[in-house]
Amino acid sequence: MALTRAQIVEGLVKILGEEKVITDEQVLKESSIDRFRKYEDICGVYTQPIPAAVVKIENAQEVSAVLKFANENIINVVPRTGQSATEGGLETAVENSIVVDGSGMNKIVKIDPYNMQATCECGVSLQVLDDLLREQGYTTGHSPQSKPLAQMGGLVATRSIGQLSTLYGGIEDMVVGVEAVFPNGEITRIKNVPRRAAGPDIRHVIIGNEGALCYITEVTVKIFKYMPENNIFLGYTLENMKPGLEILREVMVEGYKPSVARLYDPEDGAYHFSHFADGKCVLIFMAEGPKAIAEATAKAIEEIAAKYDECKKVDTQFIKTWFDHLNWDPKKVAEERIEIAETQNIGFTTEVSGNWDIIHDIYEACCERVRNEIPDITMMGGHSSHSYVNGTNMYFMYYYNLVDVEPEEEITKYHNPINKIIVEETLKAGGSMVHHHGVGKHRTHWIKEEYESSYYILETLKKAFDPNGIMNMGTILPIKK
Amino acid sequence: MKMMVCFKAVPDLEMLSEEDWAADSNLKVDLSFVRNILNCFDESALEMALKLSDVSEGFDVLLNLTAFTIGDQKSDTYLKTLYALRFKKAVRIESNEDLRFFPDVTATVISQYVREINHQDVIVLGRQSGEGDNGKTPLLVAEMLEWPCITQVIRIEPDTEGSLKVTNMVDGGTLTQTITTPCVLSVGNAPNSYLRVPTLKDKMKYGKTPIEVLDIQQFNIQALLDDCRHGCELKGLEKISHKRQGIIIEGETPREKARILYDSYLKERLEKL
Ligand SMILES: Cc1cc2nc3c(=O)[nH]c(=O)nc-3n(C[C@H](O)[C@H](O)[C@H](O)COP(=O)(O)OP(=O)(O)OC[C@H]3O[C@@H](n4cnc5c(N)ncnc54)[C@H](O)[C@@H]3O)c2cc1C
Repeated sequence: MALTRAQIVEGLVKILGEEKVITDEQVLKESSIDRFRKYEDICGVYTQPIPAAVVKIENAQEVSAVLKFANENIINVVPRTGQSATEGGLETAVENSIVVDGSGMNKIVKIDPYNMQATCECGVSLQVLDDLLREQGYTTGHSPQSKPLAQMGGLVATRSIGQLSTLYGGIEDMVVGVEAVFPNGEITRIKNVPRRAAGPDIRHVIIGNEGALCYITEVTVKIFKYMPENNIFLGYTLENMKPGLEILREVMVEGYKPSVARLYDPEDGAYHFSHFADGKCVLIFMAEGPKAIAEATAKAIEEIAAKYDECKKVDTQFIKTWFDHLNWDPKKVAEERIEIAETQNIGFTTEVSGNWDIIHDIYEACCERVRNEIPDITMMGGHSSHSYVNGTNMYFMYYYNLVDVEPEEEITKYHNPINKIIVEETLKAGGSMVHHHGVGKHRTHWIKEEYESSYYILETLKKAFDPNGIMNMGTILPIKK
Repeated sequence: MKMMVCFKAVPDLEMLSEEDWAADSNLKVDLSFVRNILNCFDESALEMALKLSDVSEGFDVLLNLTAFTIGDQKSDTYLKTLYALRFKKAVRIESNEDLRFFPDVTATVISQYVREINHQDVIVLGRQSGEGDNGKTPLLVAEMLEWPCITQVIRIEPDTEGSLKVTNMVDGGTLTQTITTPCVLSVGNAPNSYLRVPTLKDKMKYGKTPIEVLDIQQFNIQALLDDCRHGCELKGLEKISHKRQGIIIEGETPREKARILYDSYLKERLEKL
């Protein structure tokens, strides 16, 4: 028989002690959602099942004990660290869940500059880690916009990516080893070596699991030399996205590795660049690393850009000033809440990827359909921010006015239909419906189409590692009705 | 009722880093690389006018809104947005002059425009802009037109064709008065400070209405401008240090830290309140 709410709390208190088990009603309500439901949160209307408790864990043994308890009693567990999730990954989809908060596990275990790696607990803030490394002349190379908010466990769990990805890669390229706890309580460590060919790379069972397979307790990432004095910014305006994508492609195909390579369309760019590129697309690069490499990279990019007549160079100071203000800290999140409440205008993002031959079509089809089919749209645009030799991503940004909707209707009237258009158009063209935010709970309807025949592998992983289905129900895989 | 809201696009100073604040040899800080935003008090004023327009129809008062700015083409994006939000007219006085510290000139242009070109019943302005921080323009406009001026306005409500209900902040509270037009309203710290956003459809439909552009030279301000320039000269700039001392509270648990915070730092202050 399922445990009651009170019995769950009692069980958790027995394992962790009273101090670490939070049952305050407001905390529980706020812990039932993430930024996908930010409008409900602003309105104080919580529609998701409220968790039984939020527990603050401090080490892998505690996580193990909590997971075992949940597994034995079939209680849903939602892992959490920085709470910056955007896709419903933190929603407690079923009654009486346990939110396992690792933000207190915030020790930087070791910085090892000789072997160029840093080990830290899951609750270490990326900003804190990177600031500390920079003081010593190093960096993680990871720079998501949520750097001031996100923590290492969540960053690994979502397969996050940062603005410098074209040089340093996504988190999957940075993670060396990891410690994780599985639902049966098993604590596993993957050792820190440069590479190995001892069978499949099992790091990838853990990286990107979104809390649906295991709980990440410790992460070791590579570190790099930090040489900001060599950074070279380049900025261009263009009339259209197509040649911008062509330039991005050429830079990648020719083998250059700028850290930043981004292309904004006029709508998305208007917020950032109207003072120098009103109504235009903006193409941005940053070359970094050792001086000679940075200079050679910048020179080559300039030569490629010069081949395109409509590509006009802008003063690099515009780009530098903009880049310094890209990240979101808690102050910006707080300001956004007020702005949404006052203007009843709200914005979200959906990020997809595709090979070079389809990405422009995806971009155009999605923009056109959203503009035409969704009511009260105030902005629909996008940018490419992470490029690869075979393709790039498209990060769609959209805003709408909330007209005649109750807080709980916002998602069904606007957000889900927009997501549906973007996901469907991307899958139809042969792209991936998720580039870096994770599947969360609102793109699970399309998970089979996303994986096609490889869905078998995903499903089998879930069955093998979480046979009772207690890990973050409804995330990556939909809840079976 | 004809209402004109004056606004200004200003550089987003929050985008400047510590080193960006270094002044050049002409004692100027380079602001050309930062994006523009609406001056916050002006943004409140624009939204206040739109809110008034929303409710005015119920009072059988037809509000005819004009948006007015002095500046270069960069301000056109705001004027287009205001058209899309159903302002009837958008006016820009083309100027490349640096008027940041010359509210007399700005007020002369506004008052002349209203006296000679486009008569208004009400002029609404933000109380000051983050750039010049003069805080004088609304008062000077009122003086030049010989109209009354209400300062620190936080709400405007419809009343009759020839009057408005205006709430403003006064020492220790708020005051709501019925004001007959014409009048100047200077908007202060209003509870709502963000401008609503037009839909793409409205931007397409109304955003392309031509902006009325007039040259600042036609307002004969050259002599006044020269006077202002000679009247004050910038001698130097000095950075004010805003550093404050901080204490990190040590404790085993959050509860213990909260207890120390309360006992040692908050209790006494709270008791004094
Ligand atoms: C303003 C803003 C900008 C953003 N920019 C970027 C960006 O540039 N790049 C990018 O990739 N993402 C971005 N994101 C998304 C988000 O920041 C990332 O997904 C981030 O990795 C989440 O980390 P977190 O610590 O906040 O995790 P949380 O929000 O706490 O959790 C995220 C997901 O991971 C799971 N999880 C958390 N901790 C663990 C753990 N220890 N073990 C197992 N599972 C766990 C959760 O269950 C959830 O599904 C942005 C978000 C915001 C709000």
